[in-house]
Amino acid sequence: MSTLEFVLLLTPGLPGLLAVTWPLRRLRRALPRLAALAPLPALALALTPGAEGTALVLPAVFTGVHLALDAVGRAFLLLTAALWTAAAWYAERYHAQDARREAFFGFFLLTMAGNLGLVVAADILAFYLCFATMTFAAYGLVVHTRTGEALRAGRVYIVMAIIGEMGLLSGLFILGVASGGVPLFGLELEATWLLLGGGTEAVGGGMGGVAVLLLVLGFGVKAGLTPLHLWLPLAHPVAPTAASALLSGVMIKAGVLGWLRYLPTESAYPLLGTALMVIGVGAAFYGVVAGLAQGDAKTVLAYSSISQMGYVALGVGAILLDPGVAVLALAGVVFYVLHHGMAKGALFLSVGVAERLGTSQPKWSFLFIAALPALALAGAPFTGGARAKAVVKAVIEELGGTWYAVLDPLLLLAAAGTTLLMARFLVLLERRMGGHTDEGGALGLAVPWLAVSAVGLAASLWLPLAYVPPEALVLPPLRVGLAEAAGPVLLAGALAWLVWSAPERLGALTRFRVPAGDLVVLFEWAWSRTRRLPQEAFLSFGEDMVEKVRNVQRESHEYAAWLAERDLYLMRGPLLGALLLAFTLLVGALLL
Amino acid sequence: MIPILDWALLPLLVVLSSFVPGIWIMFLREDQHGLRTGLNMAGAIAKFVLVILMLQGVAMGLSYEWRIEVLPGIAFSLVGDGLALLFVTLSASLWLVTTVYAVGYLEGSPHRTRFFSFFSLCVTATTGLAMAGDLFTFVIFYEALTWATYPLIVHRGSPEAIRAGRLYLIYTLTAGTVLVVGAVALFAEAGTLDFVPGGALDPEAVAGAPVRYLVIFFLLLGGLAVKAALVPLHGWLPTAMVAPAPVSALLHAVAVVKAGAFGVVRLLHSIFGIELATEMGVAIVVAMGAGFTIIYGSVRALNQDDLKRRLAFSTVSQLSYVALGVALLLPASHIGGLVHLVHQGIMKITLFFCAGVLSEVLGVKRVSDMGGVGRRLPLTMGAFSIAALGMVGLPPMAGFISKWYLGIGGLGSDLPWVVPVLLASSLLNAAYFLPIVRTAWFDDRNSEWKDSGRGAFLEADWRLVLPAVTTALLALGCGLLAGSEWSPLGWTLLLVERGHL
Repeated sequence: MSTLEFVLLLTPGLPGLLAVTWPLRRLRRALPRLAALAPLPALALALTPGAEGTALVLPAVFTGVHLALDAVGRAFLLLTAALWTAAAWYAERYHAQDARREAFFGFFLLTMAGNLGLVVAADILAFYLCFATMTFAAYGLVVHTRTGEALRAGRVYIVMAIIGEMGLLSGLFILGVASGGVPLFGLELEATWLLLGGGTEAVGGGMGGVAVLLLVLGFGVKAGLTPLHLWLPLAHPVAPTAASALLSGVMIKAGVLGWLRYLPTESAYPLLGTALMVIGVGAAFYGVVAGLAQGDAKTVLAYSSISQMGYVALGVGAILLDPGVAVLALAGVVFYVLHHGMAKGALFLSVGVAERLGTSQPKWSFLFIAALPALALAGAPFTGGARAKAVVKAVIEELGGTWYAVLDPLLLLAAAGTTLLMARFLVLLERRMGGHTDEGGALGLAVPWLAVSAVGLAASLWLPLAYVPPEALVLPPLRVGLAEAAGPVLLAGALAWLVWSAPERLGALTRFRVPAGDLVVLFEWAWSRTRRLPQEAFLSFGEDMVEKVRNVQRESHEYAAWLAERDLYLMRGPLLGALLLAFTLLVGALLL
Repeated sequence: MIPILDWALLPLLVVLSSFVPGIWIMFLREDQHGLRTGLNMAGAIAKFVLVILMLQGVAMGLSYEWRIEVLPGIAFSLVGDGLALLFVTLSASLWLVTTVYAVGYLEGSPHRTRFFSFFSLCVTATTGLAMAGDLFTFVIFYEALTWATYPLIVHRGSPEAIRAGRLYLIYTLTAGTVLVVGAVALFAEAGTLDFVPGGALDPEAVAGAPVRYLVIFFLLLGGLAVKAALVPLHGWLPTAMVAPAPVSALLHAVAVVKAGAFGVVRLLHSIFGIELATEMGVAIVVAMGAGFTIIYGSVRALNQDDLKRRLAFSTVSQLSYVALGVALLLPASHIGGLVHLVHQGIMKITLFFCAGVLSEVLGVKRVSDMGGVGRRLPLTMGAFSIAALGMVGLPPMAGFISKWYLGIGGLGSDLPWVVPVLLASSLLNAAYFLPIVRTAWFDDRNSEWKDSGRGAFLEADWRLVLPAVTTALLALGCGLLAGSEWSPLGWTLLLVERGHL
């Protein structure tokens, strides 16, 4: 095993190993301090030049685990490892006084192992294994505070996660049947898709569309695809801040990676592609509208994630629609994920810093720095955001025709919406600030936060060149689209400033609120109503049936008991002997 | 090779290794604790070692058979082949663990001599029927199992236990009679009772008398389905959970229900053969019955507040994965079904061990009283959580491996309804297992604990905690290391490769 292969093994292995030492009391106490070391192998692997192509097979583990690093994986690994490192550092400070610190870090490390593992997983079941580990371990992070709100968010989270898992698993069954085993990502999987798309001849032939749909939905839950996003605005805000940053920054990206890994890039599914693109654009707007009507900074960020994932869905939809744009769209999606992950991570981390900011600490410089990633998200010039939007635009240009004519203006509008949303976030962030007497609290948190902000801002400028697959060097240069990028930001910025300086101009609109989790509230209401009617009817029907069956059972038991009694009565002494003899003779006669 | 030992005797020795202690213990005085425990442990360890020996032999390609002719054409035969070893290894290893658990669990309670005697006999019958080389031997041990288990179920002697025991006898004796009738009819019709991989019956003979074979099939199936707890013949199982925890653990994981399920495997694979059964249209009946049972058991488990009762309905459901798997045509589904025979046993025994610890140490018997037990019994509830997540079928636990192969097999056998059944079952499993896990770890204490506080070494008596932890680690290991040669999956794949199925 070469060094690189060993580091590849440690990528999920080290956090996993630390997580399973949890039952040992002494090690458990050290976990908060060790957590920041756990993602370091992954980080090292992502930063090593020429690490692509490292691969490892563990035939005895699970269904034969294949690990490998490719260009896309490397980009995801960089984001994932960097954000986990910063978040671990941040969490160690953030939870310094927390009585449930040890439990938090147990779940934290297990989630980390799953998240890092799925990035380097190279076959469909290894990915699924890591994905499920991450999903279920993150439940512990969501409900960490154990408040009623957190438990409710946890409930919605776990129910939706399980539904997603089921969709995913059924999709995997179809892939497994078609390939006759566990296909590896890449060529083997593409061949499987060709079989599935090929109509009648192969096993599972013609089920390609169903499989694509199931996988899109299965990963869509994780990626916050509208309308499967319901858990997201509930879970992201209630989780402790470090976990929120991870949920929004990297864990929803696992769903995106799932799309990129599993979905076919050589067979076209125009209908599903179109649907995904339409949903994506819809989500880009929906996230903005619902987010503006929120009263909590973290919830605003969660809705912003939903909106941003709309752009990603747009890119993935384009791949399904027309495999011709796959290379460009793939590069676009990867870049978008990197940019959004770092920026959103930094924004979430800034909320925690704001809360612990002392009265005498510099408020305005803090806000200024916190605003930088927000500007990047809004797509201001000279940021990664501007570039990310330029890539999305390049993709729809490539699609051409009606797509370009319709989407181009819509996306400009959505960019303006994002700016407004970020303005709203800054307003709410400002309200959360200060008042803390312990001056040291914010300082401890500031270092990882600043690191993520700085790396995020800097990385978005040079990252695409170094980390996006070489085919994607067609990325537009930074200066192109400067005016276009500046336009919506300036427009929305001016609008936001107008409103902020005199909120009464908006009148009743300022009081417009959407409950966090939007549709979930409707479902919960509907559930609490319907529970009464059909459930009661159903239950009483069920009870009736059970009662009837019991009666039949009881009667038959009584009959059997009656029979048994008579039997015993009859079968005493000589009669029994005679019967036995007769039976033996009978059997003997039969046998002979 | 040791000259004085004929290797063909191995299967017999495996059976005797628990039979002899069982009979010996029967003659011990109640206060001879040391000797009794020693006999039990010696038997369990001896059986385990013998089985490992046999396992290695079979892995190298040997097979063991010991037979004596009873009547012309009918032999009493014990065979150690791949399929038998799958089951024997399961019961031998879990028996070893359960013995430790039972010794700890029953400490200080009356009638232990009776208990441990029948405990050993119960396992004797199980290993016997696992290695039965023909239906005749199988039926003998199948009946013996009924009688050996009854004293264990009524062990507590409470009216409830007596009632459960009576119900058990009514169900299983009737079933036994039906099975005997089926076996006699089969012998009369086909002239053979041997188990042959791939089917012992001549398809042409069956085609000549289709109705008669159909009747025989359903007689045999009816006799087996009771112990396999196929709905609607499952009624005795949830009631029988009044038995002490180690008995429930054995009943649900190793002995009785497994005997039924294994019988169904033998019926479909070694008597009729899966191709013939599919042609006759009976395999699909078994599959649909199993599918229905899977859903029904899970639905009933949902609203059981008594922990052991919930686990019992879960057994009803999970056990039918085995019948479902072996009733489908594709090798993948057989792999799923057979491997679940082992996986379900390991996971379910863990759950019952934990339920026993909860009631023994804390006096907690109901799910709604389980708030915060995780903090008092972290190892126990850790084991419980692993097994419960495995039941739901989450990777990397063993349950996922079964589900994966069953799903592939169902879809590939052109029975796509298998997938929704599996998914619905997973959802329902999640719905009745995850709340338990959540309550135990995340809720606050909400009931009185009797907390006898015994055992300073671990959170409770180590003989109760360590078995649960061991089997939980096994459940995890069977999934996490499924790709290894020695995992249940590896063994099953070997069977398929050698054409034993």
